[in-house]
Amino acid sequence: MPDLDVCGLPPPEPFEKIMKALQTLPAGETLRVRIPREPFPLYAVLRDTGYIWTTTPSAEGNYEILITLRP
Amino acid sequence: MKTASLSTEQAPPISVPLRFFAIAPLFLLLAAWILAWGDDLSNPHSPALLAATHCITLGFMALVMLGAVQQILPVVIGSPMPAQRWVAWFSFLPLIVGTLSLAGGFLLHEPALLNLACWLLGLAFLTFIAASLISLSRATAQNASKNALWLAISALTLAVTLGSLLAHGYANGLPLNYPQLALAHIALALGGWVTMLIVGVSFQVVPMFQLTPNYPKWLSAGLPPALCAALLLFLCSRLLESAPLGYLAEALFWLLAVSFATITLKLQSQRRRRVADATLSFFRLGMISLLLAALFSLLAPFSPELFKMSAVVTFILGFALSVIHGMLYKIIPFLIWFHLFRGGIKKGVPNMKEIIPEAWMWRHLWLHFLTLLAALMTLYWKAAVWLLATGLALQGILLCFAIVTAITVYRRTLTGMEK
Repeated sequence: MPDLDVCGLPPPEPFEKIMKALQTLPAGETLRVRIPREPFPLYAVLRDTGYIWTTTPSAEGNYEILITLRP
Repeated sequence: MKTASLSTEQAPPISVPLRFFAIAPLFLLLAAWILAWGDDLSNPHSPALLAATHCITLGFMALVMLGAVQQILPVVIGSPMPAQRWVAWFSFLPLIVGTLSLAGGFLLHEPALLNLACWLLGLAFLTFIAASLISLSRATAQNASKNALWLAISALTLAVTLGSLLAHGYANGLPLNYPQLALAHIALALGGWVTMLIVGVSFQVVPMFQLTPNYPKWLSAGLPPALCAALLLFLCSRLLESAPLGYLAEALFWLLAVSFATITLKLQSQRRRRVADATLSFFRLGMISLLLAALFSLLAPFSPELFKMSAVVTFILGFALSVIHGMLYKIIPFLIWFHLFRGGIKKGVPNMKEIIPEAWMWRHLWLHFLTLLAALMTLYWKAAVWLLATGLALQGILLCFAIVTAITVYRRTLTGMEK
């Protein structure tokens, strides 16, 4: 599963990196993103572009998001 | 674990926040004009000073804050306001006309204008408060900012109620306890709404945009309810007319404000990218001003009129306006970038740093700093009011120019993509 850590990047870099990683994501694969806060604006873009996602808060205060193209 | 289940439209249209931001600087120009030509500015209750102050706090600050909250709610707690365009129009237009009526009512001693202001400002804030409460009650996110936003909106509700009562009473000659009501109104508006909103938004914006460590959990969880407790204690002291309780409440409030400012400055000193940034400097000036306002407030027993006025000036112009300017210069470029990107434009989207030239932001920062010095000078040297008025007017012009430039970049990029 491809991993992407966008902690420590200023807006809009996390957003740009996630969208770039999704463009090269093989069909059926899931992208795992580690991000310091819940990216609500990203969800709207993911939904509009046909992705599904699950978000889980981690113990150290970050969030892990698993993003997959909707079948 | 959460799955995709958000409403169909997360972010409001870009025109919603931008209309608030574009008009707000004009009220700095109006405040400057009133200050330059007003009489008896040495009296804190003079009509000209009341009119100018409300042009800044309602016309500039509230316009920006209402526009920003409509944009911030979906970003910070993932829950947009309902009927965003309607909420925008029913808060935007009545707030503008209501502020103009209020300032005119003070200046012309015209009860009809003050009564009109009560209705219009009541409509503007009622619309905004109701929509904010719906958004907050729908939000599933659990974070410190959400709690602070609840308390900020609650404080705003009480501040608006007392403000309307004061204006209505003043216009119709009602026998009210004006000094006590005015103190409670100021405490709720500045100490409650303004401080709580800045604190709540800072918990997200400072680590996110300034790349600092997160605020310590004890502070983000404890500060909003502690500020609320200090305000409630202050309101009780006014009701009971107890001076010792009032001093205790003020001391508690300033202790909490100093904690917030000190920790923010410390976090900023630990930021990951140590490059000069005008928006960060605006924020730092805001925090230093908050510390100064606390100091002036502590010195108030030695010279009540002088130090209380110094504390109010440093709080409004130094703390609130600095943070608002800093946030505007971050939020506007981000909004424009985000809406262009989300609009399907993948190539030709300008870099966020190119949307408003950084050199303008630095010029504005220095101008703002000099305006703050001029405002403090007016307490000792009345002629300095011309410097204050000039500084405010130039800031209004500079900010207008920056916002219009950003809108032009947005429109030019869209038009370029259509060709």
